[in-house]
Amino acid sequence: MTDTTYSKIPVTVLTGYLGAGKTTLLNRILTEDHGKRYAVIVNEFGEIGIDNDLVVGADEDVFEMNNGCVCCTVRGDLIRVVAGLMKRQRPGKPAFDAIIVETTGLADPGPVAQTFFVDEDVKAKTQLDSVTALVDAKHVMARLDDSKEAREQVAFADRIILNKVDLATEAELVAVEQRLRKLNPLAPITRAERANVPLDQVLGLGGFDLERILDINPEFANPAHGEAGHVHDEHCGHDHDDHDHVHDEHCGHDHDHHGARGHAHNDDIKGISLSLDRPMHGARFTAWLDKLLGEQGQNILRAKGIIDVDGEDKRLVFQAVHMILEGDLQREWGANERRWSRAVFIGRDLDEAALKAGFEACAA
Amino acid sequence: MTSTTYDAQVTAALFDRDGAIFCLGDGTVRFEDGSYNAVHDGAILCAALHPSGEGVVTGGDDGRVIWSRKQEAGVLATSAKGQWIDAVDASAESKLIAFSSGKTVSVIDAADAGFRRDFAHERTVSGVAFDPKGRRIAASTYGGAALWFARIDKQKPTMLKWAGSHTGVAFSPDGAFVVTMMQDAQLHGWRVKDSKDMRMGGYPSKVRSVAFLSKGQLMATSGAQGAVLWPFIGSNGPMGREATEIGYDEGSLVTLVAARPEHGVMAAGLDDGRVWHAHPAGQGLNFLKADKGAPIVALAMSPDGQRVAWADEDGNAGVAEADAGPA
Repeated sequence: MTDTTYSKIPVTVLTGYLGAGKTTLLNRILTEDHGKRYAVIVNEFGEIGIDNDLVVGADEDVFEMNNGCVCCTVRGDLIRVVAGLMKRQRPGKPAFDAIIVETTGLADPGPVAQTFFVDEDVKAKTQLDSVTALVDAKHVMARLDDSKEAREQVAFADRIILNKVDLATEAELVAVEQRLRKLNPLAPITRAERANVPLDQVLGLGGFDLERILDINPEFANPAHGEAGHVHDEHCGHDHDDHDHVHDEHCGHDHDHHGARGHAHNDDIKGISLSLDRPMHGARFTAWLDKLLGEQGQNILRAKGIIDVDGEDKRLVFQAVHMILEGDLQREWGANERRWSRAVFIGRDLDEAALKAGFEACAA
Repeated sequence: MTSTTYDAQVTAALFDRDGAIFCLGDGTVRFEDGSYNAVHDGAILCAALHPSGEGVVTGGDDGRVIWSRKQEAGVLATSAKGQWIDAVDASAESKLIAFSSGKTVSVIDAADAGFRRDFAHERTVSGVAFDPKGRRIAASTYGGAALWFARIDKQKPTMLKWAGSHTGVAFSPDGAFVVTMMQDAQLHGWRVKDSKDMRMGGYPSKVRSVAFLSKGQLMATSGAQGAVLWPFIGSNGPMGREATEIGYDEGSLVTLVAARPEHGVMAAGLDDGRVWHAHPAGQGLNFLKADKGAPIVALAMSPDGQRVAWADEDGNAGVAEADAGPA
């Protein structure tokens, strides 16, 4: 009998508004000397086209599944194109090192991601690695104000690339980062100029891989930069070199008062971080999570969590995209590890108090 | 049984008047006698028997439609902007060839190089099929199937509507019914004369292929643990009738079926690499390939119903005689 279990091809999705720098990043990925072979699925045939790689046009053909799940919209063109790409696969050898899907500026990333969980053929051959959102440091604030799609792209991402930082002031950047973190407390933000981000921060992130939910970083539960209660650490991502910086309430960059966009942004989408220091009742938590996603899955873009289940030595980890939930018992808690449960829900019009109460009511 | 191993995916198998033909993901067409043509710059995505009965018409991800015979090959048509050719069908009756690229179905004439029609759809086309006379074309797309008169330039298609994503299409041999395969593991059918709907569901996985046998009175389908057979008898077709299943095996799924309307036999390829041949009315299965392996990805039956060409996902391919028993 032949061994046919070769590994699945990882898929990276690039989102971002027009002008955010997706094409620049794609060109970098394709032209850098990495010895890898990529297939790139773009919305239209653009200027890119590199010998050893394959660039395919797709139609953003979004449709609803007939399976009764109201939010199960998928991208039919991706099902078709991935099936076609797999026909180039030689027996036993992956056809490509990775597939990169570029979306249009107005695209909702949900159907793209759901395609990789819902379609049996796509699921058998590929594995969604991560969603990266590019934002333009100079214009993102206006985009977030006037575009639901821009907010969704940020909220959905596993990583946010804050591009064109050379065109914005430090104060503007900090204000942008503050707002991005509120929209999405899970995704690390990488600053870049001309999309010059290291490729290992875009490819191979394992954003949907339960095995790689290692920590829900306490930093993410940290109030955003510039707000009361924010704890400064190496993750803050702004430059302290030029001033002898003492961080207190008189901190020199009180962003809420300067910059054109210093006013409070009450985005409809936000990330809610929950935690509990007592063990959870496993069945009760699972039932709560199922019910929550069943009722509010349309509004929940992403969720991730690590749960300390009463009487269980292993960590329960989960991740969800809208109503699609994956969960499993992962590794054992370490002997000296702090055992606590934490989860982040990113979504639209979420009732934070109700979520917190529901989460805490699952205590054993 | 003869068999071989290719260093590329087999994406289609069929028989012309001389024997089996395999189409590959490296753009080559392989004939049963070992000769081959390297025709596409990329993968062959779809294939159909040429209207002349000799050689194969292939569509590739290079945007070209090519007719390959043993000694020669020629480009018949190309798509706009080099779009992938996703589906192709051809009619020996009308000598027409239809292929889809993106949202367009194009029709060319094997007997008239100057003839071409391009029919636009609102959504991407997933499959094309001629009716038995080669006069009409059914194109599956999101929301149903469009019926076109193959030769007419300006026309509004008849839309056979059914919500959902339709991934492939077939005409019944009498031309009375159109059947589509759907994304969500079911089939849908329409009676052409009045567009009456027929739902055919209950499959555990996507249905990748359908094939008519027994003068069109049975339609065999893949997508279940056995081959599912729907009766197409009388003017109501399968409406109000139960399907039967043959070759049920809990541990495997039928990935492809093959049959000929003129004969009362069918072949099935399984996801565990086995291939069988059977008379639905008779007893038992004749395993043409009994050893397990990679899933069967291409399957075809010869015009006489006695030979079966198969290929698996690992590039193994073979041609087996139904009467000769397992190799």
